[in-house]
Amino acid sequence: MKTRLILAALAGTMLIAGCATKKGFEQPGYAFGCPIGDQKVGSMDDLVKAKTAMEGHRTTIQPTEIRCTKAGELLKIDANLNNDSSSVKRIAYKFRWMDREGMRASEEESWKPLMLYNNSNMMVSTVAPNAKAVDFRLILMSQE
Amino acid sequence: MKNLLVLVAVALIAAGCAKEKTAYGDARGVETVTNQFGSTDLQLIAETMARSMQQASVIASGNLPIVTVQEVKNKTSEYIDTRSITDSIRAELQKGGRVRFAVDAPGMTQQIDEVKRQQSEYYAKEAAVEKGQMVGAQYRMEGNITSIVKEVKNTKDVYYKFNLQLWNIRNGLLEWSDEKEIRKTTTR
Repeated sequence: MKTRLILAALAGTMLIAGCATKKGFEQPGYAFGCPIGDQKVGSMDDLVKAKTAMEGHRTTIQPTEIRCTKAGELLKIDANLNNDSSSVKRIAYKFRWMDREGMRASEEESWKPLMLYNNSNMMVSTVAPNAKAVDFRLILMSQE
Repeated sequence: MKNLLVLVAVALIAAGCAKEKTAYGDARGVETVTNQFGSTDLQLIAETMARSMQQASVIASGNLPIVTVQEVKNKTSEYIDTRSITDSIRAELQKGGRVRFAVDAPGMTQQIDEVKRQQSEYYAKEAAVEKGQMVGAQYRMEGNITSIVKEVKNTKDVYYKFNLQLWNIRNGLLEWSDEKEIRKTTTR
């Protein structure tokens, strides 16, 4: 009887652990592989809000997904940009890199022009300029 | 006739009085003044290539490989300072701290001149650099830029392709290569 109880408890624990890793918050301070510090990120929407900023003319283009991983020592980022409007949109984007203390880890990137077809998605990818760059913001600006 | 002359004179005075206005801009902003190769293209290429090269296994391994910069051939129909592109790529890689650069062919004369100068009677012998101490590169970086230009009555389309390669000097193997494509269209 005792063995059965222990086995059931063990199975329950494993099930919970399995469900927890599925959410993707396997490492404290990270969500979907991206650094979040002490910010509360419970979903992909939260992560996108935390990591995206608009500058200059605002655009209707929005990231729908941001995922991070490590390429050796460097942080690698994939961001999916979505144009859900019925017209072609032109934007510019750049990444801003921060070190562990929140200071700039490299000089400001150049703005990168991008054209998105109507009702389309585009994945933009980048890698950190150096190993000190451990956090980032994706900056978007309309070019219309 | 008199009226016409007066009009011309007034127009000339007005043109002469038009005030020039100068303002500083964002050196890293998107530049679309013409569809010729511009600062945004240079910055896009340099950043993309440097970031991509940093992920090459010979660089990511952390062994601080020594690279020399060779020519990027300009195969386009317009004048492009390709040295400026490789300078930017080199600066970006240098800041990444994972690559060292050996003196390249255009800088060799200055390097040798400086070594010779230090070996002259004006310098203390114990502090002067000796001949035969320079370190050769393990890898060489070279590439090319090509373009396809198409123009009809009101539309001009320019497509650029920049290709960069990293070659192992010892065994002649291609260790890394990447491309960046840019399309610009101007309509009147």
